[in-house]
Amino acid sequence: MDELTITPGSACQGCGAALAARLAFKALGPNTIRHGVPCCPDSATMTPRGGGGVFEGGGAALTGTWRALKAKGITDVQVVGFFGDGGTYDIGLQGISAAAERNENIWVITKDNEAYMNTGNQRSSSTPLYAMTSTTPVGSVIKGKQTGKKNIPMIFAAHHVPFVATASVGYPEDLIAKIEYGKTLTGFKMLIIQSPCPVGWRYDPAKTIEVARSAVQTGIWPLYEITDGEKFKLTYKPRELKPVTEYYKPQARFRHVTDEQLAGIQEDTTKNWEKLLKSDELGQLLI
Amino acid sequence: MTGNKAAATAVKLARVEVLSAFPVTPQTTITQYLSEFAANGEIKGEFVNAEGELSTQVIVQAASRAGARTFVCTSGPGQLYMHHPMHSTSSSRLPVVMATVHRGNKSMQPDHTDLMSQTWTGWIQLYCENNQEILDTHLMAYKIAEDKRVRLPVAIGYDGYVLSYTAEPVEVPSQKSVDDWLPPYEYQSILPKDYDPATGGRGFGGGGRDPQQGWITHHEALLNALPVIKEINEDFGKVFGRKYGNGLTETYKTEGAEAVMVAMGSLAGTARAAIDNLQADGKPIGLIKLKCYQPFAVEDFKEYGKKFKAIGMIDRNVCLGHGGAGYRLIRNSLYDMDERPKVLQFHAGLAGKEVRVGDFERVGEKILKAAKGDKVSQVEWV
Ligand SMILES: Cc1ncc(C[n+]2csc(CCOP(=O)(O)OP(=O)(O)O)c2C)c(N)n1
Ligand code: SF4
Ligand SMILES: [Mg+2]
Repeated sequence: MDELTITPGSACQGCGAALAARLAFKALGPNTIRHGVPCCPDSATMTPRGGGGVFEGGGAALTGTWRALKAKGITDVQVVGFFGDGGTYDIGLQGISAAAERNENIWVITKDNEAYMNTGNQRSSSTPLYAMTSTTPVGSVIKGKQTGKKNIPMIFAAHHVPFVATASVGYPEDLIAKIEYGKTLTGFKMLIIQSPCPVGWRYDPAKTIEVARSAVQTGIWPLYEITDGEKFKLTYKPRELKPVTEYYKPQARFRHVTDEQLAGIQEDTTKNWEKLLKSDELGQLLI
Repeated sequence: MTGNKAAATAVKLARVEVLSAFPVTPQTTITQYLSEFAANGEIKGEFVNAEGELSTQVIVQAASRAGARTFVCTSGPGQLYMHHPMHSTSSSRLPVVMATVHRGNKSMQPDHTDLMSQTWTGWIQLYCENNQEILDTHLMAYKIAEDKRVRLPVAIGYDGYVLSYTAEPVEVPSQKSVDDWLPPYEYQSILPKDYDPATGGRGFGGGGRDPQQGWITHHEALLNALPVIKEINEDFGKVFGRKYGNGLTETYKTEGAEAVMVAMGSLAGTARAAIDNLQADGKPIGLIKLKCYQPFAVEDFKEYGKKFKAIGMIDRNVCLGHGGAGYRLIRNSLYDMDERPKVLQFHAGLAGKEVRVGDFERVGEKILKAAKGDKVSQVEWV
């Protein structure tokens, strides 16, 4: 597997998104066209660019490239969108949903850093409950984001597309295996990669992998894959989840979160995990 | 054949490879005709029924970049909705062809506001008077857009209802004659191993030290398109036996005329009838049809400025707080002349307001008065 990213990039130290790009494009291989939309400068790649994308147009740009290749009889190229959570969860959601519904033969890979980092850490619909961002500040009355994180993988599972999976930069083998499996499938494929951002999440840049791993080990960011909107598999199953406080405490974006609020988060996380475990046992997604 | 069928037929003849559209009145039947062509195997290309106009523009943009000949079509609200990516299509110098079936945004009825409000995106804009011209202009548009000296997207405007849903006789050229005249689209591929970073959108023409270079190059590309449009119109005429003036503007019965009215789109048809009647009464006025609105044929109007004592521009638009789009461009073209003709402004047919031949006869009389040196009002809403 060759490195396809150009280093050094212009990302910050300890950037999870830059690592996500490096891993993803390594696994995708050189026969790839990369589409981007405005976002943080994660890592540039040597693969061809779809280019010129408007922030809201990710799904449509991938569609156009794929259909042109198809019209020309070229079907062995991975047409890949590498977008931020803003581009996938928010402004680009409509077009990506439409591409999923049409089952375009494309990848939507999202480096999920849970806010609009490129423009200075504003909240997105991927920002988790209570997190402090520049548009959900900790004030004397309102402290942090008051609504939870949008469950994008499940929304796309409900589109009954061939492949939807979560991944983490803390688990590179899992991430790469998911891309390699996805490459064998024709149709719409989505991979959401949790990509910690030391700048926005406010932790020591040396700890990116630790933070990423703890999201998975606490059940905050479970790793799973869903094929055809039905078949469900947890790809990382600890015997026991670690307490969510292990994930929350090192990040200053959660510094104001009270013990009572943490208890609520723990309860929701455990409930969600149990549901996923049940789905995993059945091999069938329970909603 | 209706205007929308003429557009769809041209798209089929051009062997378009990727099409995308979203229904909006009065464009909708183009999409339906194209769907039928696709269902019957008459079109081999990929037809993406997208979820909105913004996506249609992005789809054809990406497909064009990947080397496919593309088509997109819309009207009024859809045109306004796809504004943002229209900039990157033209900035990336992608030869997308688009039909805009005019629908104003203060009513369902046509005026030219939808397409004219895209002027700053830097597409070539060609306007059509009748259904034959719609078919022919689409074929020419591909040749213009894909010409290596141009490489810009082309928008073809025609009035909703009046043309889109009205049947007129249209001569359809044979597939073979179109194939012979319009070679397949070739583009610098973005495929792996053939990567050209020059195709990367926003940066087009940029680089270097001048941040304005992208704008300069884009502007020059439009100006450089003027002679190519003329050349392709001429060539089309030779092969298919029909041409549209010099490709930019057309004169009608201007021999011996002292004054002219200028009209665009289907209003040019109404204006022709008015000119016939006025000349039958011995009134020395002719017509100039403005076909290519962007880039603007400044040199043509300099010539007209020398020949005629008064020019009356009929705009089916108003740039709010500024005035008519055509009027301002014509006056601007004439400013450097030592002796300038009078230039009058008429706004007509906005929001689909009905325009009769008699209305334009009155317009003609007024322009002639100005030519004689009589004092008349500068601006009139017909
Ligand atoms: C239409 C449009 N609106 C707003 C912006 C400004 N903008 C650029 S990137 C960005 C945020 C990107 O956030 P995300 O997608 O999460 O990527 P990240 O920067 O976090 O990697 C915004 C708001 C834009 N470029 N285009
Ligand atoms: S702000 Fe965060 S996501 Fe953006 S480059 Fe820096 S570390 Fe990476
Ligand atoms: Mg983000």
